[in-house]
Amino acid sequence: MLLYWLPNFIPQQHYAELSPENTESQKKRDKPLTYEMANPPHYIAHRKTWNSWNTSNLKDGIRRSETALEDEFIRRFMNGTWHGLVCSEIIIKRQFNHIRVAAIIRRAVSPTKMYFLLGYSEELMANWLQCPVTLELQTVDSFKDVVFKYI
Amino acid sequence: MYSTIPIQRQWARLAHVCRALSSLEGHKLPVGGKSIDGISPPLRISRSPTDILQALAATVGVDPTAPHYKYHDDPFLIPQSNYRKRAYALSAEAGRKAATWIRDEQAHLFTTREWDPPMKMKTPYFNADPHIDAFTPRPIYNDESKVTEEDLLYTINNALIEDAIKVYQLLGASEGVNDELKMSLLQLLCFYNEKEPIGAEWLEERWFAAATRERQAATWKLGGLADKIFASMDPKTPEAYCTLIQGMAKYYQAERAHAFAQEAIEKGVPLSTGVYNSLLSCVGFLKEGTALRIDALKGLLAEMNEQGISPNADTLTACLRSISAWGGGQILQTFALQVLAEFKALNIQPSLSAYYYILCLFCKERGQRIDILTSILTDLENRECLEPSDAMDTHFFITAIGVCSDHLQDINLAERVHALLMKGDNYKLVGDAYKESIYYRHLVTVTCRHAPFETTAQLLDMLIPNIYVPEPSVMEEIIKTLEVAGAGDRLAEVWSQLVVFGLAKRIKIVEQLLNALCQCYSYQEDEIKEKIRNAAADMLKFGQLIQEQNENRRTPTQQLSATALANIIDLCADVNDKDDPSWEVVGEALGRLRSEQAVGVPDKPEILASVAKKAANIGKPGIAATALTYLAECGFEEATKACVETLGVMLNRPVEEVQTLLQEPRSALEASLHPSALVIAEAFHLAKTGGPMDSSSSESDSDSSDSD
Repeated sequence: MLLYWLPNFIPQQHYAELSPENTESQKKRDKPLTYEMANPPHYIAHRKTWNSWNTSNLKDGIRRSETALEDEFIRRFMNGTWHGLVCSEIIIKRQFNHIRVAAIIRRAVSPTKMYFLLGYSEELMANWLQCPVTLELQTVDSFKDVVFKYI
Repeated sequence: MYSTIPIQRQWARLAHVCRALSSLEGHKLPVGGKSIDGISPPLRISRSPTDILQALAATVGVDPTAPHYKYHDDPFLIPQSNYRKRAYALSAEAGRKAATWIRDEQAHLFTTREWDPPMKMKTPYFNADPHIDAFTPRPIYNDESKVTEEDLLYTINNALIEDAIKVYQLLGASEGVNDELKMSLLQLLCFYNEKEPIGAEWLEERWFAAATRERQAATWKLGGLADKIFASMDPKTPEAYCTLIQGMAKYYQAERAHAFAQEAIEKGVPLSTGVYNSLLSCVGFLKEGTALRIDALKGLLAEMNEQGISPNADTLTACLRSISAWGGGQILQTFALQVLAEFKALNIQPSLSAYYYILCLFCKERGQRIDILTSILTDLENRECLEPSDAMDTHFFITAIGVCSDHLQDINLAERVHALLMKGDNYKLVGDAYKESIYYRHLVTVTCRHAPFETTAQLLDMLIPNIYVPEPSVMEEIIKTLEVAGAGDRLAEVWSQLVVFGLAKRIKIVEQLLNALCQCYSYQEDEIKEKIRNAAADMLKFGQLIQEQNENRRTPTQQLSATALANIIDLCADVNDKDDPSWEVVGEALGRLRSEQAVGVPDKPEILASVAKKAANIGKPGIAATALTYLAECGFEEATKACVETLGVMLNRPVEEVQTLLQEPRSALEASLHPSALVIAEAFHLAKTGGPMDSSSSESDSDSSDSD
């Protein structure tokens, strides 16, 4: 499974799996990782970037807890609404009063249905968060397209 | 760090106060644009909240090669055909509607309000700043709702007709509502004729709404709520009279509208210009015959004069609307020009809708060619900007381009119309999706027919596929133009466009395209020739695919005709390499011809004869045999000659020798000839005598292998 939840509220970054004994022979190399999962957190800003972009997390930023909670809501909402279709982390970018939500989506449903979900998610989140929300999606054929490496 | 937070809050509050003060001050300052003495700063220019955004937007034009921004920027989600464009946009809107429905139904859950700037929350919920109406749930009214006059005001201000009627009844109809609200409700009902309009927030639904031509029939609801409210009003104000008369006239209840107007005049109630405008636009319903109608119209205008009411631009539009609705003819045309001149003398500019009616009146489909458009365009081009003032304004551009295309057939005028539409902010006058597509249909047609090829190609590259996807009739026009220009590469691309636009099932277009490809094949470069061959091969494959898909359906699919198949064979056989995959396509097409899957017979059998010769020449005797057998079976005269020649090529003997050879009995030939050659010999006899070679001969397999 590519998708799993870290049960915390902080913007998620995946930790590369650390195995106690690093013997090549024991590795089956059958666990797929995305690029984001394959890079441990110290590579943020070097090989990969943040999953939440906002100014709340800067020094003296305002409404930190609200932003974190809203981001968690957006992530859960997206994963539930686009059920089984999201193949990447959900990136949330905030600019002024505008929230842009980016994700990679599997082409498992017809474009018409995708457009329905698009309109639905944008409008419902806009009403919930009281600001314009834009979805920025990219589509891929299957989960396999986002696999960066196997461990 | 934590200790600074309260101070920050204070700061924020201070900033808030400062902001409020500065905006107050701003209102006090004199407003204007220029500095008074050249030294002191210029006076404040008041701007609307979106002015800067509009100024920024004006710096970038529209990119015609990109899909419209309402579609998602992803190859999977970009629509390519008209059907998909419509389906995708409406799906997204359906999603938005679903979300607002959930919000309204579950209003008790949508109570959180974001707060910004971050100050202390005073009330648990409603201290959002600014408060945004668009994000608040809409109230739902039913029989149990407890309503006040505020609800009625809210529904009226938001043009929620059905809700307004419901609230009005819940409030106790005419007894429970004050006169002012009654008046507003009457205005609302009269404007919309008690029918719920499509909400202003549903842009796509309005854009794609089926173009139903407004019926010119009395649709006014007689004895409806509007009539009742008017009856209950006492005293009846002039405003009420004006509203009701305008409503009736708008929905073609002409006689009653005029009767009410008469009643108002008798009672000494002053009427407005708007009332007379609406009366003028339906004056034709009272009288029959052009002369009487013109008299009635003149009478109304005279009456306006008596009442001391000055006309405006809408009066001119209303007059012309009536005149254009009465048909055509010399009398009406002169009358319309008189009216136009009269208003020009009053310094009233005709609006776009006025010009639309003029075009309707002068440029009839069957009739004299009258070039009135040139002067109209000159007038419009000299105006700074075109402001829409009437719903019919959006009809002007499609009518104007239609006149250029069908009536005047003038490319220069069409280009002028297009330039006018593209000027400034004028594109908003294009109307809706339906009108836009008609507009481009006319533009592309007239360009294809009358413009030089470079201009046409440029226009097509710009419009297709993102702005406009051609309809079948326009596609035929485009193919014709490309054929005349001999643009082989573009023609080959047309096939892939047909597939993408969902037009590839239209056999008529495909056959026309094949014909065009054959016509201009011979003088193309080798690279383009290969492209054309691939396109032809793909057409055959596509036809089979469709057939396989439709096998279980009852409705038969249209098939490529025999002529079209012969064209495919002609194109694909133009390869000199024996192992080229094109030969497979040729064999496939021949097989379909023989198994009678095609309609009719080819109108150029000599193509098949030459292909047979060529196939024999490069060592594909099976294909040669099939082609000749098919020719013989169809009974073409060319068959005998072609058989002899092909055999000559195959056996490498002169024609006379072959002819003597063919006289020999079948048994002798069977021993000496290659099976394919034998089949050709049989075809020769079939063509010559109309029967098989010998009674003893067994049916040989015509599709024998082409191994040597």
